[in-house]
Amino acid sequence: MYPTSVKSNSALTPLRRFATHTTTTCSAQASAYGKCILATYMDVRKDACKEEFEKFGVCMREAVCMQLVRSIFHS
Amino acid sequence: MFSGSAAFRQAVRWPAPRIRPYASLSSSPINPGSVGPYQVFDRHAKRLQKDRCALRDGGARSRTVDYVRDEVADRMIERLLDIKRKFNTILDVGSGPGHFSKLLEPDTTQKVVMLESSEELLHRDPDTEFEVEVERIHADEENLLGVVERNSQEAVVSCLSLHWVNDLPGVLVQIKEILQPDGVFLGALFGGDTLFELRTALQLAEMEREGGISPHISPMTDSRDMSNLLGRAGFTLLTVDVDEVKVAYPSMWELMEDLRDMGESNAVVGRRNYIHRDTLAAASAIYKELHGHEDGSVPATFQIIYVIGWKPSPKQPKPLERGAGKTNLKEVL
Repeated sequence: MYPTSVKSNSALTPLRRFATHTTTTCSAQASAYGKCILATYMDVRKDACKEEFEKFGVCMREAVCMQLVRSIFHS
Repeated sequence: MFSGSAAFRQAVRWPAPRIRPYASLSSSPINPGSVGPYQVFDRHAKRLQKDRCALRDGGARSRTVDYVRDEVADRMIERLLDIKRKFNTILDVGSGPGHFSKLLEPDTTQKVVMLESSEELLHRDPDTEFEVEVERIHADEENLLGVVERNSQEAVVSCLSLHWVNDLPGVLVQIKEILQPDGVFLGALFGGDTLFELRTALQLAEMEREGGISPHISPMTDSRDMSNLLGRAGFTLLTVDVDEVKVAYPSMWELMEDLRDMGESNAVVGRRNYIHRDTLAAASAIYKELHGHEDGSVPATFQIIYVIGWKPSPKQPKPLERGAGKTNLKEVL
């Protein structure tokens, strides 16, 4: 079953933009982090996949910055 | 000394005991210091969430996310049609905008009474969308006996609303009380496996990022619990079955947005109102790796428990006594 969602790009909230970065822009890093959790999910503890998450975080921050720069230039 | 303490007791006599609502009589509180049923859900917050979701974009968002409830209502109406009886009225407890009531036909019932705690959601859709006569009652589902008379209903249905009720045993008792003898209760509610993907993803993300977990998905009942609870509430001829609705989403974010628009945001008492963005990003990554499909979408499971129970009546068919059989099964088989 697939819901038919009506979503317009004009109503991009900051959270939705952030969501795009986590799933699309940084999908490689997200996948690496997910795989690390998958490998240890029987015994997860704090910062078990810290390294992978940091890479993921760096990518997300860069993506948000790039977006800001772009929006400034476009306006 | 003794008389003194007796006089003292006379002086500070406890206030006359309040008449406790019926609901609280039926369940023993888990927290022994409190009176009444254990409070799991913040009913006020839930009502606000439902009101808000019905108002968002003039109800358009709420209508977009009707797909789960419409699907379940559709499966539930089949079960009602199996009952060969024509009703004068049916009471729909926790009706929402009437997902189930809209499917009722004049062949089944003349009238439907919708009861819902969120006024905005109750009045979201106009009467013209219904095929039978509609009456709407804005009241709390937990206090049925306050608005509906005992022994007054031929049939009570509830489609996906009982999972936000604090005192499920008490509400079932109330439903039995408002039914006429030989009246039927037909319900659908979310089972414990509902949204297990989101639950596990958020738990793993919180554990790894923050080193602790907090409840984000409510506790839900089990099919075994349901048959016990129905039996305890006094229903007979029970039928309980479990079904699943699986929905595919582009990612965890769309699922969470749709849940919010359904009015199904978290309403557990003592919940954290805030999830850190890092945790959410981590959960989204885990969700996709742990549960994702090959085409990149992620599944969300809604487990549905359907229940049917009848209020006892002397006219109902009953099992024969043990040993009353005349035919030897050996001869038949």
